[in-house]
Amino acid sequence: MSVAVSITGVSKTYRSKAGEVSALDPIDLAIAPGSFVSLVGPSGCGKSTLLLMVAGLLARSSGEILVDGRPVEGPETDIGIVFQGNVLVDWRSALDNVLLQIEMRGQDRARYKERALSLLASVGLKDFTGRLPHELSGGMQQRTAFCRALIHDPPLILMDEPLGALDAMTREQLRGDLERLLMQNPKTVLFVTHSIEEAVQLSDEVVVISPRPGRIVRRVKLDLPRPRDLHLRQSPEFQGIVAEIKEIFLSYGLI
Amino acid sequence: MMDRDKLAEYLTPIIFGASLILSWEAIVRLFHIPLYIIPPPSAILVQYVRNIHRIWDYTLVTGMETIVGFGVSILLGVPLSMLVAFSPLMRRTFYPLAVTLEMVPKIVFAPIFVTWFGFGFLPKILIVFLVCFFPILLNGILAFTSLSLDLTRFCLSTGAGPLRTFIKVRLPAALPQLFVGIKGAAVNATVGATIAEWIGGDAGLGYYVQIASGDLRMDIAFAIIIMLAALGLLLFWSVVLAERWLIPWHVSQRTTHGLVS
Repeated sequence: MSVAVSITGVSKTYRSKAGEVSALDPIDLAIAPGSFVSLVGPSGCGKSTLLLMVAGLLARSSGEILVDGRPVEGPETDIGIVFQGNVLVDWRSALDNVLLQIEMRGQDRARYKERALSLLASVGLKDFTGRLPHELSGGMQQRTAFCRALIHDPPLILMDEPLGALDAMTREQLRGDLERLLMQNPKTVLFVTHSIEEAVQLSDEVVVISPRPGRIVRRVKLDLPRPRDLHLRQSPEFQGIVAEIKEIFLSYGLI
Repeated sequence: MMDRDKLAEYLTPIIFGASLILSWEAIVRLFHIPLYIIPPPSAILVQYVRNIHRIWDYTLVTGMETIVGFGVSILLGVPLSMLVAFSPLMRRTFYPLAVTLEMVPKIVFAPIFVTWFGFGFLPKILIVFLVCFFPILLNGILAFTSLSLDLTRFCLSTGAGPLRTFIKVRLPAALPQLFVGIKGAAVNATVGATIAEWIGGDAGLGYYVQIASGDLRMDIAFAIIIMLAALGLLLFWSVVLAERWLIPWHVSQRTTHGLVS
């Protein structure tokens, strides 16, 4: 079986006044093409650190990361990335923010305009494509950020707590939007969150990370049908998986 | 027809200004305050009209000094702040020098510049430049170094080179903070020009106001002060207009009294 992302013995230690601080113990993880893998763990467990190392935006202390078979040695560019804080630029409309991805890559924005409009329409922003970020709600801004990560059709999407800054109801709406968006545009996704429900709803595999220094304590494969609507999420099977992961954090005294 | 709110917005400052001038006139007359202490507005107006040619000629002199010095400080300050922001060498050499220079009250250079360059245009421009340069440099450095970490990471993930990243993201993102510096400089500019003329000039409003107050002609002095205020406002509002045109998307451009409209 081919592997989209291969992580072998990757760790991160920071140097501080008190000496070396280990943020992430050596991690081994393989992500299959087209699968949605979540990293779930408490704050400071190093899950975002791992994502940044996969993106080539942070140097690793040891180990090797291969994306599509090529070693990561600097910023990866064949990816789409979404952060917690929306990183739309204030002076561009939703459409122009999506097309910023194309312009930054030196490609012809006219060729991607139709695709950008249809992506925005598919997340309910058909009538908001001309609005500036300050005229959009937090949820709308983050939907725009999703579209920007998908516009250039990269094989790999990296998401660092993309729903973390939103209110509970908006989060739930955006989970659904994200799931639909990815069913229409199948991608390999590495997704960082501290919400167990969120991870179980969206993932093909949930990777549970221990408190600092982070290491993988459980890998839970999920084979639930999609879309995972409210009905499915209330099923004993879904709730059983959520409870199983909660038990792990309970054993660490985290919840 | 204008609605009531709009009308109130325009009328309030006019009524306030008019009542201020009328009370000033009344108090000066009522208490017989001598002309050489506080002149009444009517006397100031008389002197303004009587000396109109000289006042306007000198306004042009001071205005040119102000605009040229201010312009040069933007043309040099913005690129230098970029260099300091992006070059560690500049940060270790030029930046401490600029900070040290800023700590010196710029006025002390006025007589030195007179010795070097005489009473003409150049020493005035240099003083204006000095008082304008530092706020532009300091805010420029802040402007070019405060792009959020996540936005920086997004730019890196696109594979865009430094030039494209600068044009598409860094420069527009820097504009609001750049304008903070340019506005600060605009406030300083007329001060610099006036004081430079005061210390070593043979023309300009600063030179004229020094002569008038030396002669205890406060009525003339105040007539000149009106022009200095007008000059300063003109410069400041030009910058504010440029700001509205360039960064209409920024929060500072849509906030009034803490309420975002």
